Amino acid sequence: MSGEKGAVRRIRLAFGVTVLGAVGFAVTYSLGANTQLLGISLGVAFAGLAYGLAAWGRRLLPTGGYVEQKPELVAPPRRRDLLAEAMEGPESPLGRRGLVGMLLLGAGSIGVALLFPLRSLLSFRKPDPVTMLRHTAWDAGVRLVTPEGTPVRLTDIARGTIQIVVPEGHRRDGDVPAFLVRLDPERLRKEPGAGRVGDVVAYSLLCTHAGCPVALYEQTTARMLCPCHQSAFDLNRDAAPIAGPAARPLPGLPIEADADGFLRARGDFTSPPGAGFWSYP
Amino acid sequence: MITRRLYRALDARLGTTSAGRTALAKVFPDHWTFMFGEVAIYAFLALLLTGTYLTLFFDPSTADTVYDGAYQPLDGSTVSSAFASTVTLSFDVRAGLLIRQAHHWAALLFVAAIVVHLLRVFFTGAFRRPRELNWVVGVTMLTLALLNGFTGYSMPDDLLSGTGLRIIYSTVLSIPVVGSWIAMLAFGGEFPSDETAPRLYISHVLIVPAIFLALISLHLVMIIRQKHSQFPGPGRREHNVVGSRLWPAYAVRSLSLLTGVLAAVFTLGGLVQINPVWIYGPFHPAQATSPAQPDWYVAWGDGALRLFPPIEVHIAGHLVPAPFFPAVGLGTVTFLLLYAWPWLERWRTADKASHQILERPRDRPGRVAVGAYALTFFAVLLVTAADDILARLTGIPVTGILRTLQILVLVLPFAVAATAFVVARSLRAGTATTVGELTREDLHAGLTGSDELPEESRHPAERIRLWRNPDDTWRWCWHGPGDDLTSNEVFLDRAEALAAARTAFPGVSVEQDGPPEGVVLPPPRHEPGPATKAAAGLVWVAMAVLGRRADRRRSSPSEAPE
Amino acid sequence: MTDEPSTPRRGRRVLAAAAGLGVLGLPLASPSPSPSPTPPRSAGSDRGTQLYQQSCASCHGQQGEGSQRGPVLTGVGPADVDFQLSTGRMPLRTEHQLQEHQEPVFSEADIRALVQHVASFPPGGGPPIPTVGGGHTPSGRELYLTYCSACHSAAGVGATLNNGRFAPSLFRATPTQIGEAVRVGPGLMPAFPPAVLTDAQVNDIAAYVDVLQNDRGDLDRGGWSLGRLGPFPEGAVAWVLGLGALLLLARSLGSRAR
Repeated sequence: MSGEKGAVRRIRLAFGVTVLGAVGFAVTYSLGANTQLLGISLGVAFAGLAYGLAAWGRRLLPTGGYVEQKPELVAPPRRRDLLAEAMEGPESPLGRRGLVGMLLLGAGSIGVALLFPLRSLLSFRKPDPVTMLRHTAWDAGVRLVTPEGTPVRLTDIARGTIQIVVPEGHRRDGDVPAFLVRLDPERLRKEPGAGRVGDVVAYSLLCTHAGCPVALYEQTTARMLCPCHQSAFDLNRDAAPIAGPAARPLPGLPIEADADGFLRARGDFTSPPGAGFWSYP
Repeated sequence: MITRRLYRALDARLGTTSAGRTALAKVFPDHWTFMFGEVAIYAFLALLLTGTYLTLFFDPSTADTVYDGAYQPLDGSTVSSAFASTVTLSFDVRAGLLIRQAHHWAALLFVAAIVVHLLRVFFTGAFRRPRELNWVVGVTMLTLALLNGFTGYSMPDDLLSGTGLRIIYSTVLSIPVVGSWIAMLAFGGEFPSDETAPRLYISHVLIVPAIFLALISLHLVMIIRQKHSQFPGPGRREHNVVGSRLWPAYAVRSLSLLTGVLAAVFTLGGLVQINPVWIYGPFHPAQATSPAQPDWYVAWGDGALRLFPPIEVHIAGHLVPAPFFPAVGLGTVTFLLLYAWPWLERWRTADKASHQILERPRDRPGRVAVGAYALTFFAVLLVTAADDILARLTGIPVTGILRTLQILVLVLPFAVAATAFVVARSLRAGTATTVGELTREDLHAGLTGSDELPEESRHPAERIRLWRNPDDTWRWCWHGPGDDLTSNEVFLDRAEALAAARTAFPGVSVEQDGPPEGVVLPPPRHEPGPATKAAAGLVWVAMAVLGRRADRRRSSPSEAPE
Repeated sequence: MTDEPSTPRRGRRVLAAAAGLGVLGLPLASPSPSPSPTPPRSAGSDRGTQLYQQSCASCHGQQGEGSQRGPVLTGVGPADVDFQLSTGRMPLRTEHQLQEHQEPVFSEADIRALVQHVASFPPGGGPPIPTVGGGHTPSGRELYLTYCSACHSAAGVGATLNNGRFAPSLFRATPTQIGEAVRVGPGLMPAFPPAVLTDAQVNDIAAYVDVLQNDRGDLDRGGWSLGRLGPFPEGAVAWVLGLGALLLLARSLGSRAR
């Protein structure tokens, strides 16, 4: 059959391509391993196998035309009865109901006791979750520094700029990031709840929806946008949510300027930053 | 012969002959839609192989380290070990980037194949009794695949995945009463915690894959025990399986599928960049990047988070925050419905019978409608997860796109479900085999027709021939309209063959006959052709050359600048 | 070497400046990116006045006092004027133009003349055109991720903002334009005065943006970058190319050959 001969030739060719691909992979690797060449050579090698095997399976081997019997899986009722008797017969330990009950109670109590070490997943040296969620490292007197650690002066915050700040010494805390902007008092529609120093205000950077940093600042509209779910907050209205799935305003950070002009916090955020939780005050 | 001695040795110790014969003769249905489960398994295999290689280089720790390597913009920066080792893998480990990208592509394909496999099982009713348990195992594997995909995506500690991890953390926080405790126990403290990375790692490389492996085994054992379901067709009955035998035909085709999956994974891994974490940079809680999306298989949750209106519920001084409903709520409802579907449908149809013959989707317009609804719903959510990219591409404000999608997610699934329902009923009522062939009469019949399934035509003229082969073995063949089907096994005695035939085709008359023309004889042996010999020679030469090269390198300790 | 708009990004400004000066028949000044005071003042200001009257005054007013159609230009500073003109955002041609970097309308010399003319409006002042260059890439990468990536994306491709606005991709910005944008804050973008980002830090950022723009061979070493748009196009590729190919394979394997 000439069709079969052609198929054999093609399959042989395909497997030959596989050898070339494999050699190409080895050579590419030895010569410095360009990712694209490695991928192509390995891909071609496997594709040669895939093609050859597919042709082999389809052209040279019988396809279909076979039938296998599928016996009933259900056993006759009498056999099931025998199984049940073997399990629950007079010799069966299951007959002693009281003992079985106590056994289950004992095993269950071990199970419950062994749940306790799960609590260690949260270190006992850390405060309880709600306390952690409600408080951040911001406190009265803590200096505002840039993420690189430079203290920030009131005069650094010009109109139209934004400065992301963290409390001094807590650069990597997840709940502390805040930002400073200078508002246009003429366009202010609602006085910031945390107060302001001159026209400068500070708010939490974390979206009240799912905690992403709302770091997209539209300077002309005084809006902060969230890159994750497109919530928008209007800084002229005390950071109220005006678009997207966020429901609560950004918490404000009460600040003051010290004698040297450096900005310091007057306390923690007006409410816990980031996403909400059950015991949210 | 060596193989014969091997069989004998194995059989003497383990008694493998009978099981081996049954296994080789196992019949697999030929329909192409049955192959996506296999694609998923092979993608899982690719994940195991590439993932094992990656573990040799990845360091799951958030401890500070100074990156020192070929990626110049990061050179000398202090970053977490997890991030630094991922960049090292991508820039400084030869072939590391290929394996890393292949791993990620394999993950995307893995979940995609699972979803397509699930859809096949759903729309053909393959989950019905006796396969409900395997449906439950399968849905569990889907949840584990999503979980492991997400932990893997989060491990490099880059800015994009760190943001995603934060969203998951916030989502867990939103669970009423216990949310903050669960979140803190899982993450080891307030986000971002140093304890998180090792937990992601051990769960990603050991716990979940181990459970997954056990569940795959369970899945396959149940398939072997119950044997495959099959589409209706000539000779296909409740008590047989029609198709190709594992050996030789199906094994070769399955190997082709395996190598095809590997080809796709490595080609994509080499040619299409995925998750370039060095561009995103290391995670920092005050930094953000945009566009921010998760991998596609969790993007429906992200889409739901974007879509859901800003609704927060206050209960007796407590807060149920907005992410609870679209993320925790939708996820829980989705998977509960998936788990419960076999029982929900049984409750609706009162069909308690055991089924080996699949339904065509059109046979159950109601199920088609439910499936179409769910598919459309999740497709809209997936699109929503890219609403910012869509806004960018179309120039339409993102709020406008969001509003449109909010309406679409409520309306479109119903519209698609209704259409699918009518189309399915029309196909069932008429003679058209595809949607394209539907006529107006078919549609009319679909709109007005009854819900009755057409009565299955009973099998007329059919018979089974049984014969003795020259080597004293027995075989039988079913002859009926549309097909001739040979018994998958060769039987040692007549009674065995007869019993098998009667099980496969109860009530069909069996007649004994002489062996048919062209009994399959062992094929003549071939000497290896010139091409094979040449290829083998080439491999030898290549290995010799490479070996010499490596020797020369080792022998010259002072590395000359290239 | 002509004034061809498709000259490669890097150094296009310098080439344009050289070509522009050549056309005007002026002695060739050193091709520094900062405005050099060497060209004759009177010629520049005449040209500036003429161009301003032709292209700007109708919206921004005779002395940059602004009107209902265009904002005030007094005191905005040379950096702002140069940024708007050299990125082609001004003069306005279409509605969406403000958001996008385009080919400039004016030659380098004309832009310089216009900048000088607008700077002459009282009271003057505003950020000067910065001299940007020679930054340190690793430090620039860190600064970029802190100050720029939220809007312009870590990959430099830009991002979607509110109300149909978006932050532009940075792939066409020159170092000088980056410095100008940082100092001025054009459009919705916040400005970063020297108190927030020092000149050295701006140099670093520009150096990293240059990596994002021109170092593609190394940044996109994984292959096709998919526009650096992240997981969404990746998912699309996995479904369409990856699973699509496997679906075809499965069909060919499963279809029963008769």
